[in-house]
Amino acid sequence: MKVNPAKYYPLIPVYAIYLIMFLIGKNMTGMWELMAMLAFYCALGQAFNIFLGMTGYVDFGYVAFMGVGTYGMALAITRLVHFKGLGIGLLIIGLCLAMVMSTLLALAVGAVALRLRGAYFAIATIGVNEGFRYLIEGAKIWNGSEGIIFFAQMNEAFGREMASALSTFWADVLVLIIAALAAFVTLHYMRSKIGYALTALREDEDAAKVMGINVTKFKIIAFITSAIFAGLLGAAAWAIKTPYVFPPEVFEIHYTIEAIIIVLLGGAGTLLGPVVGGLIYGLSKYYLAIILPGFQLLIFAPIIIIIIVLFPEGTVGMLKNRVRGTTLERYIV
Amino acid sequence: MALLRLENITKRFGGLVAVDDVSLEIQEGELIAIVGPNGAGKTTLFNVISGVFLPEEGKVFFEDKDITRLPAYKRAPLGLGRTFQIPRPFSSASVRENVAIGAMFGTLADKVSVDESLEIADHYIDLVGLQDHRNKAAGPLTPVEKKLMEIARALAMKPKLLLMDEAMAGMNPKDIDEMVQFLLRLKEEEKMSIIAMVEHIMRAVVGLAERVMVMHQGAKLVDASTTEALTDPKVIEVYLGHSEGD
Repeated sequence: MKVNPAKYYPLIPVYAIYLIMFLIGKNMTGMWELMAMLAFYCALGQAFNIFLGMTGYVDFGYVAFMGVGTYGMALAITRLVHFKGLGIGLLIIGLCLAMVMSTLLALAVGAVALRLRGAYFAIATIGVNEGFRYLIEGAKIWNGSEGIIFFAQMNEAFGREMASALSTFWADVLVLIIAALAAFVTLHYMRSKIGYALTALREDEDAAKVMGINVTKFKIIAFITSAIFAGLLGAAAWAIKTPYVFPPEVFEIHYTIEAIIIVLLGGAGTLLGPVVGGLIYGLSKYYLAIILPGFQLLIFAPIIIIIIVLFPEGTVGMLKNRVRGTTLERYIV
Repeated sequence: MALLRLENITKRFGGLVAVDDVSLEIQEGELIAIVGPNGAGKTTLFNVISGVFLPEEGKVFFEDKDITRLPAYKRAPLGLGRTFQIPRPFSSASVRENVAIGAMFGTLADKVSVDESLEIADHYIDLVGLQDHRNKAAGPLTPVEKKLMEIARALAMKPKLLLMDEAMAGMNPKDIDEMVQFLLRLKEEEKMSIIAMVEHIMRAVVGLAERVMVMHQGAKLVDASTTEALTDPKVIEVYLGHSEGD
């Protein structure tokens, strides 16, 4: 199969931004935590965009995939810590478990909810995260409401120094890598039949069916892909970074809302959108909290409304229309 | 072997019988028109053929294969292409992408790559004369341009049978004549059968089809050669009402 490198040019601005974020964080004192937060929001947007942006379906239970991903990592570390010599392999097992668990949950949710359309799908998914949280707490699965605390196991498995480096540095690097991977997969989908099928079903599901598109199959592909990245993100940004997991925290609907805002701010279905959306969201949130502590949400809400009203297709969506027909078109997708 | 065979199709919506016991055979390479006033059941019949609705009674055969219960998306790769009465473009995608989607998931689905589909799309965009709009989004096109784009999209599916739902509604007489010539040429060049559905533009029917099926209140009224069908008293009655005196 011949690969046309020009197809992957749109990754250049995305990766450039990630690289700049990494360099700023690494070389400027006190900036790492901010960059880590921005990386998290970019990755969250990039992962959610694969489903929300490409299919036009809103999944209000999205955070559940991050939650089970966090549990996947926590379980891998707590259950396998006694097998000496796994070393960093333990993290890889954790990431794999996070992917498997989020895939299984996506299959279970998707099999039921993806039969519904539009608003009905959104409503059906609203309870998924809460339901899963109460299942874990009520049935006392994985320690129930006590959660899992695994600082000690992290230290035991990787040594005190490495465990500390993992949570303060490598977890964030991993988040950036996940964001980069999600961007690659997004572009790969866009350039393949999957992307065309998703565009078709997003615009007109019935017409897409008559054109020969198995809409259920493609919706499930997008749903599972998006869920896998959410699982990985939970495992990295939550489990490795802060080695504990409590059900009320990892199934908090707040994160789903943030993901939706980021995707809409940046431009649903675009490649660069989640990055720009993540930066706008993260930076506003961070600096508003410093400048106007206590009032940040009051200021933030109108900012979001203004952006959405001015650029209904998101900032990158607007930019994309502006550069149509110029050389920049090849880079902004 | 008939390309498409409908056997006693009945489709009801609650108490309303939208299609009433309709049988029809289309041979390979045939071009027939289905005519009938608004509400005669033409679009419903199309929806049964393309799999949007399942009929309550009767069977649909395509190349002698029973496709009555086959999901819509599995029919396109067999060779069933269609356009819609009200065009349904994938609005945010460009014209080129819209048409390429047809190539990607039609009869060539397993044989063409994305790049090849885009080339096929270019060919059909030129054919329908939309080359100036190739890279524009499909949403803002005019209704006639949207119809042309839908035809290009359906053609890119390389169908054996093309179902055209009101392809000529809203066009002026000159455009209709051009479209008729275009369809006749297509039938020859692409070697496909066409079922064109027409509500009342007899100008189109006469130029286009050798055979006409007239529908009325869901049922088949007449299925005959064009001249025969259009002079049939039953057809005249449907369109013009009772003639007084005779």
